Amino acid sequence: MKKLCFILAAVTAAHAQVPDSQPPASSAPAPAASQPASSSGTKGGSQQGFLGQDVPFFDPGSDIVQWNGKSWNINNNRIFEARFEKFLNAPEATTESDRDYNRLLNQIMDKLAPNTISAKSTDEAFQLLPQASEFDIDARLCDAIANQVYASWLAKRSNERLTAANQSLEKERQRLEWNSKMTAAGSSLGAPSSTDGAAAEEWKKQQQLKRDMEMQPLATRLVEVNALLKANQLKREVAELQVKIEFQALIVQHFLQRRFQHVVIGTRFYRSIFSDGDSLLRVGEDSKSLFSKTTGMPPTVGTLDSLANEAMRDVREGVQAFKFLLEKDELESATKRLAETFILGEYMPEVRTITRDDKRRALAFVQKSNQLISAIEVKDYALAEKLVKDLDVSAKDFDNSKPMAAIETARTVAAMHIAKAKNAAVSGDKTTLENELKSATEIWPRNPALAEVGGMIFSQADVQQRALVDFDQLLSQKNFRQIFDDKMRFIAATAMYPQKQEQLRKVLDDMAIIEAAIIRAQEVEKRGDYAGAWESAESAFLQFPDDNKLNQVRANLTTKAADFVRALKRAEEQEKKDQLGSSLAWYLKAQKNYPASDFARAGIERINAQLLPDAK
Amino acid sequence: MARRKKSSLQPLWIIAAIALLAAAFLGSALFQSTGNDPFRTVAVLDIPAYLDNANSLRGNIYKVEGEVSNSLAWSPSSGRLIAVDVKDDTIPVLVTNEFNAINIQKGQKFIFVIEVDENGVLKTKDLSKA
Repeated sequence: MKKLCFILAAVTAAHAQVPDSQPPASSAPAPAASQPASSSGTKGGSQQGFLGQDVPFFDPGSDIVQWNGKSWNINNNRIFEARFEKFLNAPEATTESDRDYNRLLNQIMDKLAPNTISAKSTDEAFQLLPQASEFDIDARLCDAIANQVYASWLAKRSNERLTAANQSLEKERQRLEWNSKMTAAGSSLGAPSSTDGAAAEEWKKQQQLKRDMEMQPLATRLVEVNALLKANQLKREVAELQVKIEFQALIVQHFLQRRFQHVVIGTRFYRSIFSDGDSLLRVGEDSKSLFSKTTGMPPTVGTLDSLANEAMRDVREGVQAFKFLLEKDELESATKRLAETFILGEYMPEVRTITRDDKRRALAFVQKSNQLISAIEVKDYALAEKLVKDLDVSAKDFDNSKPMAAIETARTVAAMHIAKAKNAAVSGDKTTLENELKSATEIWPRNPALAEVGGMIFSQADVQQRALVDFDQLLSQKNFRQIFDDKMRFIAATAMYPQKQEQLRKVLDDMAIIEAAIIRAQEVEKRGDYAGAWESAESAFLQFPDDNKLNQVRANLTTKAADFVRALKRAEEQEKKDQLGSSLAWYLKAQKNYPASDFARAGIERINAQLLPDAK
Repeated sequence: MARRKKSSLQPLWIIAAIALLAAAFLGSALFQSTGNDPFRTVAVLDIPAYLDNANSLRGNIYKVEGEVSNSLAWSPSSGRLIAVDVKDDTIPVLVTNEFNAINIQKGQKFIFVIEVDENGVLKTKDLSKA
């Protein structure tokens, strides 16, 4: 199989594949250079391949196809994928027409089989070729074989005529040689007596001249006949060789097209026509070397015949393996075997009769596999993970180690960057935040956590901005109580703004004083000391007159300690009017009401100091 | 013979005598009560009016009787400032230096003759124990 693949598989339909793109010639060496040179089959880095540059060369070791100076991976080729998917979606070729066509090809091969072949069976096989060529699937290949057979027969008849002509020429040559020999021997009749020396000498000269004159046309004709003989012989050999080469080319073409049944038919016709035992393929030295190194055989028509038969057997085995693996739900292996078999035996009846349902199962796996490759290529690891899970369920033999390794690695690294980004966001480090988010995005662009973090950050920013606006507004309204009640929100919002942080700190410190005063007032009130409670609230009120809660507490206590408060207030009023005596009287009255009053004591001391500046 | 007029004035005389006796008693009592106040001719300070608006009393002289409740301050140049309880109120009184010889202690009752100065301070013009 390996040998077969080396020559055939990849040859994969010269008509079926072209490179995805046609980069400039200058850029071609780059992809080629990236492939293992040792397995490319090229010599010394040159692009000289099997049958020159015109036929694709496949290296099964690397799944790389080289053609016309370009290289690409057959497993990752858009056109191959498209062709394979087209096959997987096509209905099975089990129509009456398909069955008739296969039956015809089998009949032709049977009639040309070595154990049954005869002149009659050969003629019968020849007559079936036009019938087979009428089917679309045949693509007129049987017609091409028939034409080549007919041309070969014509060439053979022409050679027979040349042989007959040569036989006539041979007789003519023999006759001329005889005549020449007789002429050269000469005659002694009429010769002068030997005593007359001069006359005898003269007679010899005349006789020599006469022989020469008689020999000249014979010799000339003999040369001509010999030349004609050689020319006819050469012509016959050339004509036969030309027909052989044409026939061989046709067989090789069918071989490269993976039309192995046609290859077998062609080789059997070839052997019946050219029974001289000369079946050597007239191909270039590179191709000869390729055949001999890979098959261990000289490149002959027989080699092609055996390779074609081997390919057909391999296709049958591949289809059987596919069906067995499919039964076992081992879709990955089944799909690989089918792809290999499809490459080799796309036109074989065993491949073409695979049911559409079976192919659709393989198609589902192929589509998901391709989708998985694409998802990993575009770093959509969420989709990739989903596909891996699907494939795990549908294909028992699916190897998820590589994709899962890629997914887990990306997820871990992205999570680390996101964690750093979150920390940076909390600490207000915008530069680190941006860098970490960028890194996380590069690793896993469609990471759901990114949207979550982004949303969180944007939402946080929005909440923060709103909180800052509220803070400024409440500050301008001196509504410190509201700020105090929402202090957690404002603490978080002002975390990145030192100036506002300081403002908030002062507000919270003041509110702490107010709250302490309120608590103290309420505690004193519980003891029934309303004047003392009022003083506690009043002392805070003087400092923070805008706090509603404090005002409310103070108002309540004012009612409960009305006489004391009234006395103090009157004292303060009189003090402001410089009625120090009256003011002092009121302070004394207040002190009488609440002897522990700080306000009253302070007022008395203050008035005393004014009345008696030098008091001791 | 003319009927002799009946004597009916005798109860009137009795009533008149009683009235005279009562008047004499009351006069005696009144005389007794004012006889110990050396400043009985001086008007008493209207405490509520003073607390309400001392300006209206500025420059006037009044007398006020009360109990010393506290010594507020003492100035060598101005005198002693004391708190005097008058009924339910307490008022400050400045006992000037001219009365330094008089001991003034908490709980003692005095009658102060005071003048309402411009700041509403009650400056002692005279005093005596009550």
